[in-house]
Amino acid sequence: MFYRLSGVHHANYVSDSRIFKVPADRNLTAFIFLIGLAAPFIIPSLYLNSYMLPWLIWTAAALGLNLVTGWAGQLHLGYAAVMAVGAYSSIHAARFGVPWEFALIIGGLTSSVIGSLFAFAALRVKGLYLALTTLAMQFVMDWVLTHSPAISGGSHASLQSPTLALLGQEITTDTGFYYVAFGWCVLVTIFMLNLKRTGLGRALVAVREKDFAAAILGVNSFYYKILAFATSSFIAGVSGALLVATFFFLAAPEQFSVAVSIQVLAMVIVGGLGSIIGSYFGVALILLVPGIVNGLVVTLSDGLGMQIDVETLAHIPNAVYGALIVIILLIEPLGLGKLYGNIRDYLMVWPFDQFKK
Amino acid sequence: MDWVFLSELAINGALTGLLYSLFAIGLVLIYKASSVPNLAQGGLTMVGAYVVLALARDVGLPLWLAIPLAAVVMFGLGFGIERVALRRLAGRPVVMILMLTLGLDIFLRGTTLAIWGGTSRSMELGVSYDPLFFDDIFISRIHLVGAGVALALFVAFMLFFRTRTGIKLRAIADDYMASWSVGISVERGVGLSWALASVVAVAAGVIWGEIQGVDQALSLLLLKGLTVAVLGGLDSILGAVIAGIILGVVENVVSDFLDPLVGGGSRELIVAAVLILTVMIRPHGLFGRHDIERV
Amino acid sequence: MQEKVEAQNILSMNSVEVLYDNVILAIKGVSVQVPKGEMIALLGSNGAGKSTTLKAISGLLKAERGRISRGEITFQGVDITEALAQERVEMGICHVIEGRRVFEHLTPDENLTAAAPRGMSRSTLNAEKDKIYGYFPRLAERKSSQAGYLSGGEQQMLAIGRALVTQPKLLMLDEPSLGLAPFLVEEIFGILQKINKDEGLSVLLVEQNALAALEIVSQGYLIENGRVVMHGTAEALKSNSDIQEFYLGGGETDFHNVKHYSRRKRWLS
Repeated sequence: MFYRLSGVHHANYVSDSRIFKVPADRNLTAFIFLIGLAAPFIIPSLYLNSYMLPWLIWTAAALGLNLVTGWAGQLHLGYAAVMAVGAYSSIHAARFGVPWEFALIIGGLTSSVIGSLFAFAALRVKGLYLALTTLAMQFVMDWVLTHSPAISGGSHASLQSPTLALLGQEITTDTGFYYVAFGWCVLVTIFMLNLKRTGLGRALVAVREKDFAAAILGVNSFYYKILAFATSSFIAGVSGALLVATFFFLAAPEQFSVAVSIQVLAMVIVGGLGSIIGSYFGVALILLVPGIVNGLVVTLSDGLGMQIDVETLAHIPNAVYGALIVIILLIEPLGLGKLYGNIRDYLMVWPFDQFKK
Repeated sequence: MDWVFLSELAINGALTGLLYSLFAIGLVLIYKASSVPNLAQGGLTMVGAYVVLALARDVGLPLWLAIPLAAVVMFGLGFGIERVALRRLAGRPVVMILMLTLGLDIFLRGTTLAIWGGTSRSMELGVSYDPLFFDDIFISRIHLVGAGVALALFVAFMLFFRTRTGIKLRAIADDYMASWSVGISVERGVGLSWALASVVAVAAGVIWGEIQGVDQALSLLLLKGLTVAVLGGLDSILGAVIAGIILGVVENVVSDFLDPLVGGGSRELIVAAVLILTVMIRPHGLFGRHDIERV
Repeated sequence: MQEKVEAQNILSMNSVEVLYDNVILAIKGVSVQVPKGEMIALLGSNGAGKSTTLKAISGLLKAERGRISRGEITFQGVDITEALAQERVEMGICHVIEGRRVFEHLTPDENLTAAAPRGMSRSTLNAEKDKIYGYFPRLAERKSSQAGYLSGGEQQMLAIGRALVTQPKLLMLDEPSLGLAPFLVEEIFGILQKINKDEGLSVLLVEQNALAALEIVSQGYLIENGRVVMHGTAEALKSNSDIQEFYLGGGETDFHNVKHYSRRKRWLS
């Protein structure tokens, strides 16, 4: 239990580049995976459906953004628009009668194509200017969405999602939805874990650190930037589609507005750029804590017999959400992933590091 | 082609554009003094307007007193934001600073609405709603007043950046380390720029609050303000004024042609298009500084 | 006795250790004394800790997440180990940082204005500027162009001039000769010497160009691996065979000589 590094020696490159360098980590991950599998039998359906499920899907989405922002270092403030593309094309495809498996892939691919447009902005500018361009592109996409009844579903601007069916099974129960989200999140996580260890992952990091220098070393930054945007957009598209199919059931343009783009970016940055476990924490914090704080305020004010204005209560979660972003950035600019890493590194050698000095 | 109508569109567009400049000057101030893109200017503007109203309605001060007092309060808030938040992240990658200002924006908006509620309030400056007539051209009085305020601020800040303090702020934007090395207090300089931008936010909040009501929509000016600031060159106050006029005219005239074709609401699209085109074609804008690279 | 030494030394640095990021030990107990009105050189190769030593004195360490973890620095008898960078500038320590970092988008004249201490009157500032333009006539010619477009030598002059506006008592320069043509180095060093004589300004010079530096300074410190390994007058250093061999480009040329390595090794221990 303690001193988990004991007996772990990496003598060659292959063993040092394993996903789990420390056996204890692998065991912990397996344990968490089992809990994830058993969750529907442990957690009440209400919590499962309104907390666990969005958490998993948003984590998958955030990992996609982390790929492009954390790994490849390209700022992206139009991620929600890319998710919208995936969501709308999948649902239209499904409504057209395409099986859901293919509809999801169609959504992902359409997102990839549209999302790659953002890469062309990234080829020209970076940093702040890229952020502003992608923000503007988000506005353009929003506008197109709200002004094309053919896409957004007529005058009500809402589009009913057909019943989700995968592998010939209609999925209608909360447990079913949960497993779909869980499966997708696990898939994306495995992909991201492995990405780190491949040439692609290293090339992306090289592009992030200095694209000129990477180009000199023979890394084609043009190709890798487009690849990064296309891959992350695919993840965005499928996540967007699943979000509508298993959670909202009804697609509306507000679900993918600028505020949502900012929210996903906040999840990634609060979690930690380039940190996979961080994305899980970041999403949980941004998604769940504002609601919890609000609940606490209500309980507290009831307990103290104070009357809090309904409108005040309605806006407290937003204030908390903003404050969370600021506070986490001030405590640890590298995010929750880094905080977790620090604690883990400390405990890993505890109590023996005390003797080193 | 109706030339009178077109010139009315252009003139009113230019006046509205100057109001965008009024907002954008705040962004430019902070960028010019610290190279930090301030995405919280929308939130600050909203807070500015609400503080004026709080002093005027809740405390009961006359507006002519409430506005300068609000400016003082916001001046302090600007300094406070630097002290509490910006200082700790100085020198970090731009993505973190962008996120910090976005977080601030969300926090300011949420807090303002939690305190004063979301229903739209009116500023009631007492400017008449009757338009002025020049020949056949209608001009809104409040727009004229706002444009005047924008131009006055423009002149004031142009002069300010020639003073010794102003030069020091520009030096800070150039190079933090070199500024420290000659004893310039970078922290105080950046704080001052936030304080001044917060004062500008009061001006923008009052004028825009009068035009469209004091509510959450004030923070949505951010996209237009950013577009103006980028088109003008992000660190050029003159650029912000001229770019504001350009954007205002383009938006007004083009949307008049475009709206019937797409069924209305094309303004936002035009603004976003201008922003994208500026960044793609000329990222440093009309008057922005070029980064000088020497080998 | 002790007090007398204190009075003579404008700056005294006693076994200072610097940590970056709380882990990396950049200098390990460096002691340097700068006598009032003299020019002193810190010599050494890349990464030896020369720049860190200067930053420890000027207080710029904080900007790079570094801190003084041991030792103390006194300036004119006052302990400044914990003082802020800007307080040290006010006391009279000015650091011309490495790489000619002028304010590129300002004119040379504005560069000088930017460095003016708080409360300096306009007339004093103008007098200071005139004096600086007197030392560096090239700057006066180009005072209204953009500083980013000045030549390398002019930028270095501007950086020094900008430091002089702060009215320092101790001027520290980090590799002023870096990337400059030899005649420019000579010109700048000549001006430094003149300022040192005219105003009694103490100078602490960090240089890799040991040959040029030893011509103008009175004493030198040799730093290696974060430690002072040799200290002596300029004359003594110039005639030292190790210095000649490693820093002045003279001496033996036989690279197979084992002695070469072992002699260097002696300093590292």
